[in-house]
Amino acid sequence: MADPAVIADRAPIGASARLTIDEIVRLGFTHVIAIPDSESRLLCEAAAAHERLSYLTPCREGEGIAIAAGLWVGGAKPLLVIQNTGLMEAGDALRGCGIGPRVPLQMLIGWRGYAGASQGTQPVDSAYPYTEPILDAWQIPYEHLMSNDDIGVIASMDERANRTSKPAAVITGWKFQP
Amino acid sequence: MMERLDVFRALADSRTDEIVVMTMTATLQWPLVSDHPLDFDFLAFGMGHASDFGMGLALARPERKVIVLKGDGGLLMSLGSLVTMAQYGPENLIVLLLENRTYEMVGGQPLPARVDFVTLANGAGIQGGGATGNGKVERIADLETFQSELPRLLDEPGPHFVVMPVLNTHELPAVHHSDHAGRIRRLSDALAAGEPGATTKE
Repeated sequence: MADPAVIADRAPIGASARLTIDEIVRLGFTHVIAIPDSESRLLCEAAAAHERLSYLTPCREGEGIAIAAGLWVGGAKPLLVIQNTGLMEAGDALRGCGIGPRVPLQMLIGWRGYAGASQGTQPVDSAYPYTEPILDAWQIPYEHLMSNDDIGVIASMDERANRTSKPAAVITGWKFQP
Repeated sequence: MMERLDVFRALADSRTDEIVVMTMTATLQWPLVSDHPLDFDFLAFGMGHASDFGMGLALARPERKVIVLKGDGGLLMSLGSLVTMAQYGPENLIVLLLENRTYEMVGGQPLPARVDFVTLANGAGIQGGGATGNGKVERIADLETFQSELPRLLDEPGPHFVVMPVLNTHELPAVHHSDHAGRIRRLSDALAAGEPGATTKE
């Protein structure tokens, strides 16, 4: 698991929602499928407002993963925006609709608990410490998006998912900024 | 109450270039009546997510009807999908809910007895809902009605959510495939080729 202090020292403020959406559009994503949370609120608002993105909010993450798989098979390019807690709920969908059938699902995963952990306080729940080990167990590669300096990791995720035809992820530790 | 295999035969007889999606028990019997590049029969898919996958396909391919054969047990595992269908379901999506009141795939355990799937779908807002407000909820309980209504279901704008009480008196065949990535690739290749009879790259 990443050392939260190291990442926090490098990027304590969060990435711009606008710049992140610009990169998502530049990479050709067609749909953003999101279960919004407080950290991703601005990103979701920017996605919903963008004329070149279709924005959907299903009821749960597993649903979103299956919708994304269908979109991909149909020739679209979806991006999932979910929180680590939802990732944990959606394990069977990720296995059955992504990992097993080799659908290159791409996910921006909000890291609930990171901010508290990086500041030396106890996370409010167990979501923080399990996030990276779960992705490791599922052999899903991931990088961290912590500031505008890191926005290139979205292109890296895109390249790796398409090259391997397997799911890939970006973890976002801080609340998105305007 | 309809014999499920008869429902499948009727659908296969009427189906032309529609995508047909199913998971779980339906994947064991559908291949008895159909072998089509636009079939997606994948037993080990995410549990309860056949109609979600079908909705993604329907959104990506608005020029094609997408027919989902979904079990009632599977629906209970993803009830929120009704609400999502009511909000975003496109006109080309048809969900046929195969209501056998059991978790058939895992041993036939009974579903909660009082659940009413038409009421659930209506409560979710599918009737008059969907992306363009053309959503329809109905119950078809006999084979003759299904056969007579199929042309309408395949033609008129939806999304459609159709509850169909079924039983099965036939012995179920064994699972006939395990190449999950191959099932996905066969469908995506056929869609990319654009023709219902297109050969695949498998």
